[in-house]
Amino acid sequence: MAADRYDRQRLFWGDEKQQRIAAATILVAGVGGLGATVCQIMARAGIGRMHLVDRGRVELSDLHRQSLYAECDIGKSKVEVARERLRAINSEAGVVVQETAIGKGFTVPGDVQVVVDCLDNYESRFDLYAAVPDGGLFVHGGVQGDRGQVLTLVKGASQPLQEIYAGSSQPEGAIEVSPYSVFVVAGLICNELCDLLAGSPRLVNRFLVVDLTIHTLSYLDV
Amino acid sequence: MVLVQLYGTLRLMLAGKASVELPWCEGDTVGSLLERFQAGERIPVTHKLIDGSKALHTGTIILLNRRNVLHLQKLDTPVNDGDVLALFPPGAGG
Repeated sequence: MAADRYDRQRLFWGDEKQQRIAAATILVAGVGGLGATVCQIMARAGIGRMHLVDRGRVELSDLHRQSLYAECDIGKSKVEVARERLRAINSEAGVVVQETAIGKGFTVPGDVQVVVDCLDNYESRFDLYAAVPDGGLFVHGGVQGDRGQVLTLVKGASQPLQEIYAGSSQPEGAIEVSPYSVFVVAGLICNELCDLLAGSPRLVNRFLVVDLTIHTLSYLDV
Repeated sequence: MVLVQLYGTLRLMLAGKASVELPWCEGDTVGSLLERFQAGERIPVTHKLIDGSKALHTGTIILLNRRNVLHLQKLDTPVNDGDVLALFPPGAGG
């Protein structure tokens, strides 16, 4: 571990939490609006290893909110660009990429401790949840317009994601989203992730719902 | 009493109102409670939850005591005194 990189956060959360984050492996599914910022924050935080899964390529319409990408990346594989940028940010953070879509039959690698759902559609989210082994930890994030939510589930102990979201279907066409709401929700996801990796998650079976239009954060237990 | 919790766009539509307490009546269901909830509000909101043929919309989940009512008896799900009904339109994107 480099000498000074984590000084400010260690002053805040201590050495033990830093060591737990450094020892952890997570999987970030979807490296778009939420996922690009989540993996960037976790790289900066000193995560040990991240698996990034996304089949997408960078488009011009991504650049208003997807923090890892620039105009020079248009047309390139998101996970490949993400790996390059994350390596530049923190070469100590391991990054493994899979340029694939999450679908039925997807397998979560055995070294993953927490699966982070930053996907953009319910079908893939449900397939991802199905791939989490029993007892596995699943942090879900969603965003739309100026609002979003974060939720942690424990596979086998919590209500399954597809039961909570029963009846939800994907809106037709592109989903509206502000450029800043993804940063707020991604920050809240990382807040939960760091707490969870340190052994003190706060959003197990509890949505944290954020609405920037009216400046509220609310809990919703499930 | 039954507590109706509002989230997201529903809260916005009702000028930031986070929750409403409604008196419980014998025989109440999710559907009857939503009707009484709407009757007490000047601004129409339940069209975001139910269409004209009483089918639940897909953009908002309705949770009764943490359980999605689609797993119960949908709008016919009985509601008891002290129950909590949450109306939550989740962010669908990522």
